[in-house]
Amino acid sequence: LPLSLSLSLSLSMAVWDLSVTVEDLGADAPPITVSVTSDLHIGGVILKLVEKSQVKRDWSDHALWWEQKQQWLLRTAWTLEKCGIQADAGLIFMAQHKSLRLGLPNGLTLRLRACFSGPVFRTVLGICKMLNIRRPEELSLLRPVEEKKKKKDKDLSEELHDLTEVPLTSVSRPCLYNGMPAHFADSLQTEKVYKMLSVSQPAPAPEAIAKLYRPASVVDKAHIHSRWLDSSRSLMQQGVQENDRLWLRFKYYCFHDLEPKYDVVRLTQMYEQARWAILLEDIDCTEEEMLLFGAIQYHINKLSLLEPQTMTSSPAMDDLDSALQGLEVKLDGAESSPQDMLENLTAPELNDYLKIFRPKRLTLKGYKQYWFKFKDASISYYKSKEESLGEPIQQINLKGCEAAPDVNVAGQKFCIKLLIPAPEGMNEVYLRCENEEQYSRWMAACRLASKGKSLADRLFQSEVQSILSFLAMQQTNPNTHTDDSMSINTHSLVSPRYSKKYKVKQLTPRILEAYQNVAQLSLTDALLRFLQIWQALPDFGISFVVVRFKGSRKDEVLGIAPNRLIRIDLGVGDVVKTWRYNNMRQWNVNWDIRQVAIEFDGNVNMAFSCVTADCKIVHEFIGGYIFMSTRSREQSDTLNEELFHKLTGGHEAL
Amino acid sequence: MDDIDAMFSDLLGEMDLLTQSLGVETLPPEPPSSSSKENNFSMGFADMNVESLNELEENDLDALMADLMADLNDTEEKLAAELGGQKEAEAPHPDLPPASHGLSFYPESSLSTPTSPERGPNTFSAPLADSPAPILSPPTLPQHAKLSMEEIEAQMKADKIKLALEKLKEAKVKKLVVKVVMHDGSSKTLMVDERQTVRDVLDNLFEKTHCDCNVDWSLSETNPELQLERGFEDHENLVDPLSAWTRDSENKVLFQERPDKYEVFKNPQNFYLWKKDKKTIKDMKDRDKELLVEENFCGTSIIVPDLEGVLYLREDGKKSWKQRLFLLRASGIYYVPKGKSKTSRDLVCFVQFDNVNVYYGKEFKNKYKAPTDFCFVLKHPQIQKESQYIKYLCCDDAWTMNLWVTGIRIAKYGKSLYENYKTSMKKAAITTAWTNRTAGTTSIPSTPSPTTKAKASGQANGHAPQPPAEPVAKVGNAPPPPPPMLPTQILPPPPPDPVLPPPPPPQATKKSPPATSVPRQLPSLPTSFPPLPTSMANLPPPPPSLSQDDSSESPPDFLPPPPPTLGFGPGAGSLPPPPPVSFLPPPPPDPGFPLPPPPPDPAFCPVTNRDSLPAPPPRQSNIGAGAPPPPPPPPSASAGLQSTPSVRRTGPPPPKRTTPPLAAPGGGDFMSELAKAMAKKRGNQ
Repeated sequence: LPLSLSLSLSLSMAVWDLSVTVEDLGADAPPITVSVTSDLHIGGVILKLVEKSQVKRDWSDHALWWEQKQQWLLRTAWTLEKCGIQADAGLIFMAQHKSLRLGLPNGLTLRLRACFSGPVFRTVLGICKMLNIRRPEELSLLRPVEEKKKKKDKDLSEELHDLTEVPLTSVSRPCLYNGMPAHFADSLQTEKVYKMLSVSQPAPAPEAIAKLYRPASVVDKAHIHSRWLDSSRSLMQQGVQENDRLWLRFKYYCFHDLEPKYDVVRLTQMYEQARWAILLEDIDCTEEEMLLFGAIQYHINKLSLLEPQTMTSSPAMDDLDSALQGLEVKLDGAESSPQDMLENLTAPELNDYLKIFRPKRLTLKGYKQYWFKFKDASISYYKSKEESLGEPIQQINLKGCEAAPDVNVAGQKFCIKLLIPAPEGMNEVYLRCENEEQYSRWMAACRLASKGKSLADRLFQSEVQSILSFLAMQQTNPNTHTDDSMSINTHSLVSPRYSKKYKVKQLTPRILEAYQNVAQLSLTDALLRFLQIWQALPDFGISFVVVRFKGSRKDEVLGIAPNRLIRIDLGVGDVVKTWRYNNMRQWNVNWDIRQVAIEFDGNVNMAFSCVTADCKIVHEFIGGYIFMSTRSREQSDTLNEELFHKLTGGHEAL
Repeated sequence: MDDIDAMFSDLLGEMDLLTQSLGVETLPPEPPSSSSKENNFSMGFADMNVESLNELEENDLDALMADLMADLNDTEEKLAAELGGQKEAEAPHPDLPPASHGLSFYPESSLSTPTSPERGPNTFSAPLADSPAPILSPPTLPQHAKLSMEEIEAQMKADKIKLALEKLKEAKVKKLVVKVVMHDGSSKTLMVDERQTVRDVLDNLFEKTHCDCNVDWSLSETNPELQLERGFEDHENLVDPLSAWTRDSENKVLFQERPDKYEVFKNPQNFYLWKKDKKTIKDMKDRDKELLVEENFCGTSIIVPDLEGVLYLREDGKKSWKQRLFLLRASGIYYVPKGKSKTSRDLVCFVQFDNVNVYYGKEFKNKYKAPTDFCFVLKHPQIQKESQYIKYLCCDDAWTMNLWVTGIRIAKYGKSLYENYKTSMKKAAITTAWTNRTAGTTSIPSTPSPTTKAKASGQANGHAPQPPAEPVAKVGNAPPPPPPMLPTQILPPPPPDPVLPPPPPPQATKKSPPATSVPRQLPSLPTSFPPLPTSMANLPPPPPSLSQDDSSESPPDFLPPPPPTLGFGPGAGSLPPPPPVSFLPPPPPDPGFPLPPPPPDPAFCPVTNRDSLPAPPPRQSNIGAGAPPPPPPPPSASAGLQSTPSVRRTGPPPPKRTTPPLAAPGGGDFMSELAKAMAKKRGNQ
């Protein structure tokens, strides 16, 4: 025993050579060898290393990576002996922040420098800080789905956005400059990046959607969730290399404290993730819902193109709503001049010869021409223009009616189908217009009237415009030139399933119909509405994992939702059972047999092993959601990182 | 203008008929000569299609008249206020004829006095120009003013046009006379204007009745023809759905407790965890219930209960009912087509909620041969008769029906439902606090002590407690507790007379609903209620208990004792009297009394105006009109009391009396100005 003691003592005092590869010198450069003793601390090693390298530069971001053990030596006060490093340790001296290709929710790729040494949770924090996304705990990184590379690499073209030049230290400045965080305002290039982050992307080509990977089943969806990185370990530890591609996505579907004023990027990216989830059928919805999603996408596209400044210059345009409200007050309030008020009172009218058809009146005559007058919220018609001063043949009040298009551009058919409520039921009336222009005015008027608004409403002109642009979408004739930005292929607003099911000319009127209800929304409100409808879908926020329940012989699906766990039959897809986190007593992971065991109130126990994903991922999901639910109660804005790791870390955290 | 006149004369005809048919010389309409002012209420009256006037009882009519007059006066007063300021400034202006022109029996002096503090922005002009360099006005002002006299005139003209336009707008506000059937079968008539929400009307009814104000109280409509019933949501504007009724409709508005109204917030587990076993649902802890509500209503998106089940659907035009598997989603009701799965993409949309309301069906087993009586219906609110556009669904039991109807309401109204509930809870909590506090006291309650106030407001802000265990009725004859008042009387109190629609704001009509709803949410003083000491200083003493009893005997109306002064017709003594406001403003009704009312003693008016003292003095002036002597203290006390809280909002009666002459010539002037302006504008175009 004394022998070994003296031996170790002499060993520890002995000077030995430690060779360290310095990454920055290049792959071919030989390792630098420094003479060390075992009681030298890591900081001392780095100092010697830097001295010996004779390279003058800022080494402050560098640290030692122990390749064999796959770990960082970040505690600079620890001695080599305490770390267990001996002469044969293959150490690499490298930067902690490295370039990463980050796939954003909007489908674009951004190159930036991310931390490779801290736990992924920390890395995401840093990324979100740089991108100006609040509540970073809701996001995480996952490995992308392998793309089928049939054709030659087009990847190079996507490398348009680069934030690697942004100095890491500048990100801490929270101040805004020119409507964007200061670190984006440094150059034109970074300003462009900010625009990319904060403005939703134009609708993708239908072919592009069709080419992308779509999960076909719950099992496919479950496989996606096996790709999440471990939040407790660093990127290096998980085998991520410099310039690798990772996806940044919202992982936990409980969006806390969404504030459009501060959350421009967050809101936009959330919308993008939702939009793609819908387009790629990651989440199921009904046809009606799909059409509404399509209509809102169209609206958002249009607004983003028309006024890209609304979102970027957030402080100035802070509240589009309040601006609009101000406008309304002006229109209505005492501040307006008598002339303004006169204008309001003497509402404009529409006067035209149109044809009317009332299918309920069993006449065989079909469409008959009358002189029509549209005033306030009702339509009156007369035998002729000359008689329009007298009593109308009939007056139809349109308030509460449904106005649907019955249009065939190619066939030059421009009809408005009106369903007018009456005590006895709904009256069907068709109005036939001569041309697009006339149709768009009358249709716009009917739409506004159905909501109880008059022609004087400021929405009238925009309504006319949007109807015209929708008509243009149906235009098969390329001779008529329309504004390119406005003509969106409606197939790019719906998932491939519906692209296949409906032709553009069938789809467009239906989207237009749904569009009526959202056309008045501001950009922010439209984004929020999209998210709301998304969140209201029954399957919203459920992450799937294929598991094997204890005592069961077949694979089943575990759905992890923000408030509950769901057991789903793999074959039929039925929900077998749900457990709410509220009733959860405790959950344990047996890391040896990779089994998760959960106990609920009333002695309800369940246990399962994970098939498609590591049980750390499931553990992290459950712990993560419980962490998310603690946020609302504590009012402070600071992120309780320690608690997150406690809840999600597993055995590493203990 | 023409159709307004036409409408007005229509109204007069109608009113004449009505008064004749009642055989009572009640309040006749204003003489048409009293100018365009009355358009305000004539417009409202023209919309009175909700029920036939013949059904109105006399007291209803009185109350209504009071409503109308108060409403009218209210508007006028505001305008008068603005105009008064203006008038002062431009006294010598030739365009504005003397106010007393043609209607000499109204004292002119009161025109400008009450309003001088509220001068318009243009008051700086002429008079100031002559004053010796007031500190406030820049030295250049006199010069400038002289130079731009024409501009100023133009400006004034413009302002007048603006005023006239505002009046026009105000006149456009639709008002309905609504007969509400109370829970005990009696009925109450109120006037509701189109800006009032159901919540406003409920608050109004709370004040008029002795109910406990719990959250279950609701207004609902019944349609006997279709055998339907629907509880209105608190945020709905009451006038909207009522406007859909047909002229001969037998529909009714009910004021009743509906436990289903907010059941989802009291027992959310019944709706959100309906699949769980009964025991789990029953044993749910309160904390868990709160969490459930929070989860589903407080997130960025409202979560609709995921209902699915087999319901019976009435086939179009057939008498058969067919079973289908229906699913509820936020976007509508869907069904699973034959041979398809329940996956979202296979679902067929049955109905979306944008244009339909959900109704309970009554006794459909009989009417439509439904499998059970637990039916609900989806239809456009305008549809009032049988139609193929009505969708009939039938459930196995009441529980399922309640589940679906509530689920549909959540999908349709979303967050509003929860907001409504929270508002109701606050209201109930405040009332509870008061009931508890005053339950023991039999004497007239005085100003609440600060501690109670704190308590009450604390409850109102935090989680409100459940409605009181003991109903208010137990309190017996004790007067209703005064709602907690604002700390001081400086703030304008809520409208004193619950019958009054909120005073129409003079400007920014769009903004007005929130503005008016704020005071409405505060508890307002029941009219028969003694005032708070602060405001009592210069007022007559509180009414003796006699009058208290009197008013509590007919609680629903909170009417003050009959004003014997006027001696309308035979029934005046025995009939429930009109509220005090009603006997002041209208001109003498008696057709057999051809003389125009003599002018009230001008000496009184300035006084009343300045001090904002209510009834007594002018009533004395009424005596001069040949009426019997004024009543002894009780009525005067109650009348005085009644108007105290209203000093700022509705103003005391005397100004009301005096406003017509002001408005008449002024209004006429505006109208012609307006006509000119419009003509000019057309010319320009």
